[in-house]
Amino acid sequence: MNEKQQGIAPLVQVDQLAVTFYTPTGVVHAVRDASFEIMRGQVLGLVGESGCGKSTAAFAIMGYLPGIHRVEGHISFEGRDITEMSASEVRELRGNRIAMVYQDPATSLNPSMRVGPQVEESLQTNLNLSSQQAHERTVRLFESVGLADPANIGRRYPHELSGGMQQRIVIALALACDPDLLIMDEPTTGLDVTTEATILDLVVDLKRRVRAGILFVSHNLGVIARVADRVAVMYAGQVIEQAPVRELFKNTHHPYTAGLLSCVPRPISEDEVTTKLISIPGVVYEASRDDIDACLFASRCPMVQDQCQEEAPEMFNAGNEHESGCFFWNDVQKGLWEKEIPREEIDHEGSLVLTAENLRKFYGRWQRKYLFFGPRVKPPVRALVDADFDVRSGRTLGVVGESGSGKTTMARTVAGLTPRNRGELKLRGEDLAPEVEERNRQQRDALRMVFQNPTASLNPQLPISHTILRSLRKLAGLNRKESRERAAELLQAVGLDPAYLGRLPGELSGGEQQRVALAGAFAGNAEIIIADEAVSSLDVSVQAQVLDLLGKHQREEGTSYIFISHDLGVVRYVSDDIMVLYAGHVAESGPADSVLKPPMHPYTEALLSAAPVPDPDAKPTTIRLPGAVPTLLERFQGCFFAGRCPRKLGPICDQTPPPERVGPDSHDHVIYCHITVEELKAMQQ
Amino acid sequence: MVRFLAVRLSLIILTLLVVSVIIFMVTEVLPGDAAQQQLGQSATPESLAALRASMGLDRPAYVRYFDWIGSALQGDLGESLKYKKPVAEVIGPRLYNSVILLIFAFVISVPTAVITGVWAGVRRNSFGDQFVSIMSLVGISLPEFVTGILFIVIFASWLDWLPSSSILLPGTSPLTRPSILVLPTLTMTGVLFAYIMRMTRANVIDVMETDYVRTAILKGLPMRRIIFRHIIPNAMLPTISVIAVNIGWMLGGLIIVENVFAYPGIGSLLLVAIVSRDVPMLQALSLIIAMTYAVSNLFADLSYGLLNPRIRIS
Repeated sequence: MNEKQQGIAPLVQVDQLAVTFYTPTGVVHAVRDASFEIMRGQVLGLVGESGCGKSTAAFAIMGYLPGIHRVEGHISFEGRDITEMSASEVRELRGNRIAMVYQDPATSLNPSMRVGPQVEESLQTNLNLSSQQAHERTVRLFESVGLADPANIGRRYPHELSGGMQQRIVIALALACDPDLLIMDEPTTGLDVTTEATILDLVVDLKRRVRAGILFVSHNLGVIARVADRVAVMYAGQVIEQAPVRELFKNTHHPYTAGLLSCVPRPISEDEVTTKLISIPGVVYEASRDDIDACLFASRCPMVQDQCQEEAPEMFNAGNEHESGCFFWNDVQKGLWEKEIPREEIDHEGSLVLTAENLRKFYGRWQRKYLFFGPRVKPPVRALVDADFDVRSGRTLGVVGESGSGKTTMARTVAGLTPRNRGELKLRGEDLAPEVEERNRQQRDALRMVFQNPTASLNPQLPISHTILRSLRKLAGLNRKESRERAAELLQAVGLDPAYLGRLPGELSGGEQQRVALAGAFAGNAEIIIADEAVSSLDVSVQAQVLDLLGKHQREEGTSYIFISHDLGVVRYVSDDIMVLYAGHVAESGPADSVLKPPMHPYTEALLSAAPVPDPDAKPTTIRLPGAVPTLLERFQGCFFAGRCPRKLGPICDQTPPPERVGPDSHDHVIYCHITVEELKAMQQ
Repeated sequence: MVRFLAVRLSLIILTLLVVSVIIFMVTEVLPGDAAQQQLGQSATPESLAALRASMGLDRPAYVRYFDWIGSALQGDLGESLKYKKPVAEVIGPRLYNSVILLIFAFVISVPTAVITGVWAGVRRNSFGDQFVSIMSLVGISLPEFVTGILFIVIFASWLDWLPSSSILLPGTSPLTRPSILVLPTLTMTGVLFAYIMRMTRANVIDVMETDYVRTAILKGLPMRRIIFRHIIPNAMLPTISVIAVNIGWMLGGLIIVENVFAYPGIGSLLLVAIVSRDVPMLQALSLIIAMTYAVSNLFADLSYGLLNPRIRIS
């Protein structure tokens, strides 16, 4: 059945790999014990949370590790051990036999060199092609990775390409010399879901087309489920479970994997109820700590036994090519972590807290050719065009859309951080001034914002008590003693020890920092908390904790949220109402279930179709949006989505703005589309 | 491109106008005006008033400013109080001498500094890198008047290879006696070399840690190609602005070096103008220095734009 049984040697065999870095601040055991094999024509998914050693393992195969380090174990590539090769032998493999695709295509391409020559130089060096041959081959490569205008795109610089196009260039570069092993390190992290979907399609297509082995590193189980044939799960530098993809998702045999799977909110569940997310308590066994004779997951494991603390488990064969590093692999079951209970749905309508009408924000102004004179040459950026929405008490408004669709602009105009140009914003019927400085104390207290990057939004020089106490004294009007007590309560509420009050932000992990930022937002008794991608940079297990925290606070205090995320699964999980933005326009808005089950607007449909589902048996989706959100410099004659709409009717979409239609299930459900609601509904059946 | 140049040139003119106002105001508040200067401390109030009236100094300050800037725009920078000759006539040959010195210093220090910087940056923390880095620190820490005198002691007094002072007969070009240029050039080069070299080294180290250099390494390219195609073009970008700023720096050094070696350039002239309170001369020299700053920054921006495709001006 598989090649191994037919006696074909694996392409890559990683055997008890351990990588240790010696840094000025101490020893880091990035990889402790990783063993896996990659076959030709097979995609091995390497999955785990950040800091588990996935990327280090991948770079070790390239023979590329920074700083002072020690590599133990063996990495054999076609029978030769990479760890024992000389520098020039390794260089001959790189680019030629083993090639890599990186996480951030924007920084992985040389900014001052045209993209064509960046591929051509690899061909010229590795295959000794002439510049003419290299150029021709590059054009063919660009064509094969689905780049439009392959003959001319090579003359562009990286910054002239979108993120998806840049990643295709990097993939073309990796494929240039027909490598035997392709390593992809988080190749879609940081890309829009729509772009991610097209890149993943390309990877699936590559798997069939080239006879290379692929190592696909990702933290995203949905992405892994989509592309991998086999999956290895890493925890604290160890491979703790390994199995064919279906087997792993269906018969999980390690409590950590089971935990990861139930941390991830799923984008849609047409018939099933959304279950409450569980979270894995504690933190990953730190890389700075020494190896111990115990299971490294024991301190977080719900089924821990005495044996786990006394002896390190080996990999046990669980049949079906499934291996697990848990003594009690056979006892791992669904519901191990927590009973799967349905998420508490909010059924109350809520009173109106915030209403926005015709909210508009243009960045910049018309620029003239010669500073103050001459014809108008550059128009302003139409970031948010006449958006209407409202936020109700105790409910969450989820905002989705690709990057460049106006989500953050909308959040910032509501918070008053960027003044709106036009439109009305009312808080409980009272007018809100465009700029936060002009709003009165109560209005300022009522709106709090939590940002994407907690490290950047906390002052690194001040202890975290400052963030929280200041909000309490200024906003909630408590005195010194009261505020201390309340701060301790708040920290406990976000799952942190009150002793953290004296610490500096730098001493906390990213997840802890974000929880501090949330405690600060909770401190002011805000009526509305605006969370702009607040959980996007967090690992899934921490993300689950933060999401549950938000939910708990909402139930207790009746706070409303405006929740912005590019992750449809997360938005679906937290939202009561959803607003879909595209190119600064509201495409659709309404109660969450009406918007998503089933999707009506073609853009919502495309977003849902693109979202990766952590289930290898999920129905493959087919709707793809090529390209990116338009530049927003021009006013749309017709429908804002006409340029990319897969269900475009014809000239009417280009010429007339779409009418406002009311959805079939709810009066609050608004769809802007030329297609009638009945037809939209029929398309989903 | 036209738009960019038009905007930049008008901004430079604006800058120079502002600078001219400031220069005028500063010379205005200096104690003792031109009349006082000419007649000395013992002059009677009557004779002072008479001279002021004849020089037009009794008119309001703004009238005199427009008078001055108006003639300056027509090329008439006034008459030097010390030399009793038109300012332009005095500055002309001096400016020529200074420009020659600057060009020599620049042409020698920039390429060597860049090459050494790249060499050291690529071999980060090697013995060679550390040696060059320490030497450049020494170069930065020693001011020009110390290195200049040190050079005079070593090369002129001890070894007697080169002349200790660079005095020129009026009306002769320094190029006719190249030996007098060597020590001033060397002194100017020292600090400039150290600064540019350290900056290049730091930029090379930054670029070597970028993802795209990692990409180049993992493409299997040989190191030579990585250095020349991937590291140097990107490391040069920030270095260029440092070089431009250093042109201004060199003007400061010029004053010191020219005085140490008694070289007849605008630097030594400036000092003379200050000491003898030669206001028209001072104003003219300050304008020239301000203009050099502005123009060299424009050149830096233009070359930055040429190297960096992201801001390439179309």
